[in-house]
Amino acid sequence: MTEAKKTVLFEKHAELTGKAQIVPFAGWFMPLWYQSIAAEHSAVRKTAGIFDCTHMAVLKVVGKDAANFLNAVATNEISMLSPGKAQYSYLLTPTGDIIDDIIVYYIDVDNFMVVANASNEQKVKDWFNKVGVDKIGIDKNWQYKIIDLKDSSLPDAKVDIALQGPASAECIKKTFGVDVGTLKPLNFIQIRDKGFDLIISRTGYTGAKISFEIFVHPLKAVELWDLLLEKGKDLGVIPCGLGSRDSLRIEAGLPLYGHELAGDFNISPFQAGYGWAVKLNKKNFIGKDVATKQSQNFDTEVARLKIIGGKGIRPIRQFDGILIDGRCIGYVLSCAGVNDVQIALALIEKKYNNNEQQIGVYYLARNQGHIQQGRKDKVVIGEKLDTDIKGSVVERFEKF
Amino acid sequence: MLPQNFYYTKDHEWAAIDGDIATIGITDYAQHSLGEITYIELPSAKKHLKAHDILAVVESSKAASDVYSPLAGTVFAVNDELSSRPELMNNDCYNDGWICKIKISSPAEVKNLMTAAQYEAYLKKI
Repeated sequence: MTEAKKTVLFEKHAELTGKAQIVPFAGWFMPLWYQSIAAEHSAVRKTAGIFDCTHMAVLKVVGKDAANFLNAVATNEISMLSPGKAQYSYLLTPTGDIIDDIIVYYIDVDNFMVVANASNEQKVKDWFNKVGVDKIGIDKNWQYKIIDLKDSSLPDAKVDIALQGPASAECIKKTFGVDVGTLKPLNFIQIRDKGFDLIISRTGYTGAKISFEIFVHPLKAVELWDLLLEKGKDLGVIPCGLGSRDSLRIEAGLPLYGHELAGDFNISPFQAGYGWAVKLNKKNFIGKDVATKQSQNFDTEVARLKIIGGKGIRPIRQFDGILIDGRCIGYVLSCAGVNDVQIALALIEKKYNNNEQQIGVYYLARNQGHIQQGRKDKVVIGEKLDTDIKGSVVERFEKF
Repeated sequence: MLPQNFYYTKDHEWAAIDGDIATIGITDYAQHSLGEITYIELPSAKKHLKAHDILAVVESSKAASDVYSPLAGTVFAVNDELSSRPELMNNDCYNDGWICKIKISSPAEVKNLMTAAQYEAYLKKI
């Protein structure tokens, strides 16, 4: 394994937090938290938080067939977009496995920006390259180019800084004088001001109603970070780490690649609750045949659960069993403590994914000692188990 | 600041030794790495332990971490307060955040532990 890389904001993290809180994540050194996960979570719900997302993959797809290319590799319908609009979508293999979940931004005619997960950056680049070389699902005469927009030698290079929470629009207004509060979700604007060349989009991964991602030149990222924190200080804008990013997205019900998408249970977009982003009526896209079958036939799906929590309660963890009447009906995929409850995303039998359905959780062994005491380190659906802690199914997504 | 008269392990436990009694806890480095601690599985009284046996499990929202016994001995007192107030381990790991007291069965093992100065040097290397 190669040494993790430092983002352009690494020095900021080192200034703001101790070394024990900076950990390798998806190949990058990232801060887990600055103050505490709880304080940062709460800031995004009440005021606003700023996140280093400069590790995320940002690609540019340009050329007269850029839209054709994206329509072939991605599941959502590109022709629904127009300049200034963005769209959530999936990249699938021909056998229907998810390569990544992405957001496609329509920058201008024949010019798109694609934002992908940091952990999948190389995989996505390799896949786009293979599609081009082997002409998978594309026409050999199509003209398009794929450019890594994080390359700071490019004049239009871009990295992602997220500003999320109710005060975020006001913070942007104070900083750049633009009113982004009226932007619709998944819409964006481009501005040039104070030496910055920015894309400000109303997107995010926290579930916050008012939330933005700001795409900035990597060499200007530190300046933007400092400026937003300075202008946002009176508004309660604070820097937030990976810990709250995870607890916020879990609370909101948003999937993470490798947990609620793909991963150990090879979860499809349909199981995750995102079938709408796979346009099966589209003429063609890579993986369409398998996706069509997946859409018609699945017994388990992602549910959001609320479980007893707070101090003194053993936290539930990935792969713990979900039970009804002592029978295992699924598995925990992700979980987070939020105030005094635990919110989990779990893969459960579809017939039980109903609001207010009561469930139990079985704790897997946390160490060798537990295994010696007879606790299991793996459970399967159908197994009979004892309930350790109780909870219930709640709405698939939380609105804030 | 590390308590100077305590002994330390590479896994970031501390032992305060008074005759044949050792009080055990986790260090400031350990509590900091774990983040907000929400649950502690405490040892049962009268439990016999060898050095490096699992003594407790400390859990934060991000991880479940085993705490190992620095020394062999028998547990005779447990800090039950931690069950309802696990935050004591974050806020006061060297005093109110103690985990348990053991009666040491192999006093010679103390020489395997680090002194405060040695632990401080160890922390600088990691």
